[in-house]
Amino acid sequence: MKNKIVLFFVVLITSSSCSSMLDVDSTRLVSEKNKWTSLEDARASILGVYALTKAALGDYNAHWLYGEMRTGEFISPNRQDLKAIGRNDLNASYPALEALSNWRRWYAVVNSANTFLERIHEIRAADNRYTENTMEVDIAQARFLRAFAYFYMVRIWGDVPLIASSREGNFEDMPKEDGNKILAWVEQELLAAGEKLPYRYSANDEQQQGDYYNENSGRWDGALVRKVTAYAILAHVAAWQSNYADAAAYSKFVLDNYSKASIGYISTSTLTNANGFFFNKNINHLLGFNYDWGHVESSFTGHIEELTLAAPVVDKTVPDMYLPKEVILDVFDEMSDERFSIDTLGNPVTENYFRNFNGRYPIFSKIKCIQGGIADPTFRIFSSATIITRLEDVTLLRAEALAALGESNGAILLLDEIRERRGLEKYTQAVNGDLIDAIFLERQRELMGEGHRWYDLVRYNRIKNNDPDFVNLIQSGGIYWPISKDIRNQNKKIVQNDYWK
Amino acid sequence: MQLKFLINFRKLFYVLSLFSISLCFQLIVNDVNASTLFVLQQDSTSLEKDIENEVDPSGAFVDTVVFIDKKIFTDKPQPISERSLKDISLSPFISLQQLLKAEKAGLTVFESTGEPGTNQHMFIRGISRPLLSKKDSYQSQPLVVLDGIPLIGEHPFSYMIQSYDLERIGTENNLLANIDIDNIESIRVLKDLSTMAIYGPMAANGVIEITSKRNVENNDRRISLNAFSGFVQRPSVTTINGSYENNFRKQFYDLYTTNGKYSDDDNYPVYLGDSLNNAYYGVSNWSDSYYKTSFQHGINGNISGGGPRANFQFALGNIKNSGIADQTQVERYNARFLLNLKPVKWLTFSSMINGNRLDRDRNRNLSSRYAMMSYFPDLSAPLAPNKEIYDSYLAQYDNSFDDNFSNIVEGYVNLKFEFEKFRFQSRIALDYNESYRDVFYSRPLMESNSFASNYYGFNQRLIFDNVASYDWMIDDKNTFYVEAGGKLQWDAHKYNYAYAYKGVNDFIKVNLLDNDPRNGDNPNYLNPTAFPRQLVYKYLDRTRHNLVSFHTQGTYNYDKKYTASVLLRYDGSSNAQPLARWLFTPVVSLGWNIKEDLLKDNSSLQGLNLRASAGRIGVLNQYDDFSQGPNYTAQVGFTGNVTVPGYNGFAVLTRPYESGWVGYDIPWAYSDQANLGIDASWEKRGLYASVDVYLKETKNQLIPIPSLSEYGYRYMHSAGMSVQNSGIDISFGGNIIENNSKELYWKSGLNFSFNSNKLTALPNGLDELVIDGRLLKVGERIDKFWLFENQGIYLTDADVPEFDGKKLAYNGITMKAGDPIWKDANNDQQINEDDRQLMGNIMPKVSGNWYHTVNYKNWDLNVNLFFNLGRQVVNQEMSNRFNFINNEGSKDLSAIKEITYWEKRGDYSKYPIYNPWSSVNAYQTDQDLFLENASFLKLRTVSLGYKMTDKMLSFLNEGASLYLYVTANNLFTITPYSGRDPELVNFLGYDNGNSHIIPKTYTIGFKLGL
Repeated sequence: MKNKIVLFFVVLITSSSCSSMLDVDSTRLVSEKNKWTSLEDARASILGVYALTKAALGDYNAHWLYGEMRTGEFISPNRQDLKAIGRNDLNASYPALEALSNWRRWYAVVNSANTFLERIHEIRAADNRYTENTMEVDIAQARFLRAFAYFYMVRIWGDVPLIASSREGNFEDMPKEDGNKILAWVEQELLAAGEKLPYRYSANDEQQQGDYYNENSGRWDGALVRKVTAYAILAHVAAWQSNYADAAAYSKFVLDNYSKASIGYISTSTLTNANGFFFNKNINHLLGFNYDWGHVESSFTGHIEELTLAAPVVDKTVPDMYLPKEVILDVFDEMSDERFSIDTLGNPVTENYFRNFNGRYPIFSKIKCIQGGIADPTFRIFSSATIITRLEDVTLLRAEALAALGESNGAILLLDEIRERRGLEKYTQAVNGDLIDAIFLERQRELMGEGHRWYDLVRYNRIKNNDPDFVNLIQSGGIYWPISKDIRNQNKKIVQNDYWK
Repeated sequence: MQLKFLINFRKLFYVLSLFSISLCFQLIVNDVNASTLFVLQQDSTSLEKDIENEVDPSGAFVDTVVFIDKKIFTDKPQPISERSLKDISLSPFISLQQLLKAEKAGLTVFESTGEPGTNQHMFIRGISRPLLSKKDSYQSQPLVVLDGIPLIGEHPFSYMIQSYDLERIGTENNLLANIDIDNIESIRVLKDLSTMAIYGPMAANGVIEITSKRNVENNDRRISLNAFSGFVQRPSVTTINGSYENNFRKQFYDLYTTNGKYSDDDNYPVYLGDSLNNAYYGVSNWSDSYYKTSFQHGINGNISGGGPRANFQFALGNIKNSGIADQTQVERYNARFLLNLKPVKWLTFSSMINGNRLDRDRNRNLSSRYAMMSYFPDLSAPLAPNKEIYDSYLAQYDNSFDDNFSNIVEGYVNLKFEFEKFRFQSRIALDYNESYRDVFYSRPLMESNSFASNYYGFNQRLIFDNVASYDWMIDDKNTFYVEAGGKLQWDAHKYNYAYAYKGVNDFIKVNLLDNDPRNGDNPNYLNPTAFPRQLVYKYLDRTRHNLVSFHTQGTYNYDKKYTASVLLRYDGSSNAQPLARWLFTPVVSLGWNIKEDLLKDNSSLQGLNLRASAGRIGVLNQYDDFSQGPNYTAQVGFTGNVTVPGYNGFAVLTRPYESGWVGYDIPWAYSDQANLGIDASWEKRGLYASVDVYLKETKNQLIPIPSLSEYGYRYMHSAGMSVQNSGIDISFGGNIIENNSKELYWKSGLNFSFNSNKLTALPNGLDELVIDGRLLKVGERIDKFWLFENQGIYLTDADVPEFDGKKLAYNGITMKAGDPIWKDANNDQQINEDDRQLMGNIMPKVSGNWYHTVNYKNWDLNVNLFFNLGRQVVNQEMSNRFNFINNEGSKDLSAIKEITYWEKRGDYSKYPIYNPWSSVNAYQTDQDLFLENASFLKLRTVSLGYKMTDKMLSFLNEGASLYLYVTANNLFTITPYSGRDPELVNFLGYDNGNSHIIPKTYTIGFKLGL
């Protein structure tokens, strides 16, 4: 009997000391109670917004399919999904098109910024290493990235839901908001962000003192948004709304102040070198999202190189998309263009933009950051940054604005600023034709492959109004993308864009 | 280091084998006059006797591991309806799944490839959650219990870093290949709560309970030696070449193009474009190198001895299974030791250790390789069908390696204290398995880029378990049994994984690190030396799960006629949320021995039992994310680049936008189950019948609901999905022919089960949900396909119906001549996703087997047929074949052409010639054009055996036995399915054509007992 009592006792002891066994802190994620407590959390959170923006741009190479493939100028030899995009057949059944009509990744950017803006004060209270100044700069960046996400979405879908709080635990399906209202809000947000953003980080800027997160300027140059970035995007927002007066004003701010951000114009060779402008991060990235080779961030996808490069640049027989010879000759119609020009025999003088010009598929190779910026064709991993805007873009945008406003002389000065850097003669109407046409042609040449062309075409046709098909496309909402079925299944308040019904 | 271990293990194995063989030899030579206890079970009747003996509570050493449920129905005739384990053991299979496939009613095994040693999934009584991704099938696996140790399997958490839902990183070895059937006494499939609830929430998907052979304990010794050798037969296939493929494609070009080009930028594949290219247009004899007849073998020695106070058992085994394709094979080395001691009358010590090593040579599929490397090389030139060219490609593997092995160890130490009717049992059990995969692909294999990857992972389970029980004989008629127990369980899963591209040369095949700190000023310390630092990717992940359980059970028996039992459980899981950490679940079981009660005088009826059980069992969360509520992680990658850890070289933290929002409101999921069973057996002709009817509803289950897109999330994890499973398991059989002397009989039995599932509720009151291309609808099955109904082809543009002046459109794309007629199921005059309909089902409605045993004197013949009825398959391979226009430039896994692309499969004539260029994607997989009836009947096993007579064995010791047999497996399949084999489907019910066929095997072997 005694034994039995002892044994029952053993059972009791072994059984009671185990409740704490069930509190297992996951090593795979961070729980709510361990987040928003330290400086490092702040850094991880703000950079998380950047990373999500990069993902939204890179998923299925969306940035280039939206911006380049859709114009139909590039042609895909054998990818049926790209062909469908090229002929504006955006409802076609392909995974890439499904992904491109889904805005979820952009709302991840928005939500992470919203969460950041709501919670960052907790870190300020919890960790006094996190200064008021750093917090202000971080808040400005979060607001910028959120506004940029909305601007991008409005260009793709027209009207989208406007959600400016995280609403955690209280999620609600929201209806679409008028795109113009969103752009007005975006403008306010960008202005507010621009006010707080520094010209540079860790460079004794008066709005960002000391080393930002204890790293020197080399770590941040070209990786983060800056004051001039906000104004560059403001100029784009205004231009998209055909508000060229504001576009001119905002772009002027950039052109007046870029030197404070240590930004300058780049040479043709820097533009086209494998380890040049597009490689890694670069102080001249006015807004760019980098895939830093040294930080093991290079990737197989999320780069235009994946779409455009093929033999002889890389070991791939057929490119996913290429620019046909005739189009190239149309666009690069001036001799001595350092980017691309041909001699009288039809042979290329320079191969900065195109290789294999006389082959079956001319290879668009302006951007070719293979591996660590080398010319090794064997392994197709890329480290080019996704560039949203750079000084040349803002310069030409301002030229466009001035031209649209009738200030031809100012426009020509800016246009020549770019032309001369690319080895071209100064603009003359007699040789180069209409100024607006010349500016857009220059934009096409200079910014080719950077995801601008489609939006340029829309703006061009809004100004010119002379291509009935395109004007009709603009008026009927055909310039927007359809909204993915997945989105409409989840949120019954979202209806398909009219054109795609 | 790993290599060393490998060598040591092999050495140890050989030494031990030699030792045991010499021991056997000595025993034989010395003619040790031992009357062996070991009796070869000749048929299931003798097995039944064994089992009955085991259950008999009088023996001192019965239940080395006590399981209480046996108390409930001691008089239930045990495996009444199944083939004996000896019959099962005549097949040369290595994994538990293969051994049990076609054997147990209610157990469905998906042997989705014939490649030996690969993972196979099994389901008891259907599925209780939809199988949307691989991790759902991990979550639906039954618990396998070896001598009381609930075995731990792989955790699917590594899919987080994988771009494709294909094979899990690591070895993908079948960890349930760790059991040597010759060491096993019984395998029971526990399907209802009365038997499985004792294992707690891990048992929610059913239990497979494996019991080892008991030690000899009567001062005797037993030696057995079992061995087989055999081969797998190369299949005969029809090969095709570029000319065949070109002709196949030509008909599309003839019909839909004028000049051989659909559009100006159309591009005909180069490898088909040149008919003078001998590589593709020449002889197609690659199959001589790909398919091979290969040999396999198995050997197992088992020695046991001792007396009631101390006894042991030691077994060694080695088995090799070979594949017919791609030089695949798996080999297992097994060593097992059991020791029981009874130092004093009231104390029993028992222990077991079971060690296994699995070495597997994997397939060389391109899709697996590219998926692992997450890199697609230029796919424009597929492997050529010519043997010489294929051989030179294979030769490139000579400079590569793919070492893939697992070590698996289970063991327990059990102390049992007995004081008259009171027993206390304390047990520590450990299950540990570790997997290594070291890969190097040399440069020529991928466009002159080498690749190295190293994986190490383990799964570990530690259990501390205490049970106290009391037998209370109130009087002759009333007996009462009560027990209480507590169990602590710690599970851990971990892996380290690294891979690297572009090594400096093909001689350094290991991803070496600079290990010289040089007084701390070496900037390259721990950087890779042979691979570029920027192309080395490293991962490690770990997850833990702790489980605490208490239970108490009382069983009352009246006069061996009526039994009633109540089991109450209280389980706490660390994967449950803090506010809902514990779950209380009751189970009630009743038994009625009708024979004993009412029909005692009926001499022809041997037994008649009625069983009933009802209750609840918890269902565990698979991931620890759910216990944390809203959380943060680093999911900032994108399609094709999923493992981005940060931005600008800094780690980031964001909400889990990819895996989905997890809130604070997640309760335990549980399953309510009821089962009613009846078992009967008759004297005459050994007739038996057993029927079980069941209903179970698994409630409160978590499901990721696609929602919150405007908040960035892909899913919201919500609890509240309920799935109902219902069905009947039936077995019956008896002797069709028997003569009086029992020298000749023909016994036959049929096991089959009907199973159905139904979605009864979705979270948040939803009544349907579209997720990952599947529709889940309340009231419908959860394993249905969601497809367009195909009604033919529009031959001309005029055939396309017009509504209000607008031609019928698919997703807004106007249909044209050459497009398929998809039924406008909802009559809204347009074709889109809403017109897809639920049809077919992945899980069979009826499955079972039909076995025969013919015995004549010392000869016996076993035949086992098995069947699945009411089941469909989507023939994705045919869809891919016809969809060549889209696949030629695609970077999709399904577009990769394996060498088997040059094999003629399927029936092309079944499919209309659509316009493959059309944007409606005419040959998309998700239409019933590719849905086929995949019912089948297979001849799983035929074996013929001869038991040597005592006379013949007179030169051996008395009581020696020797059984010789030949076996053939998988001889034929009868099916309407036009693909290769209706079993070769993935968990989505798709046959993508990449798996190896299940080979025909031929085996000859013997079983010797001394």
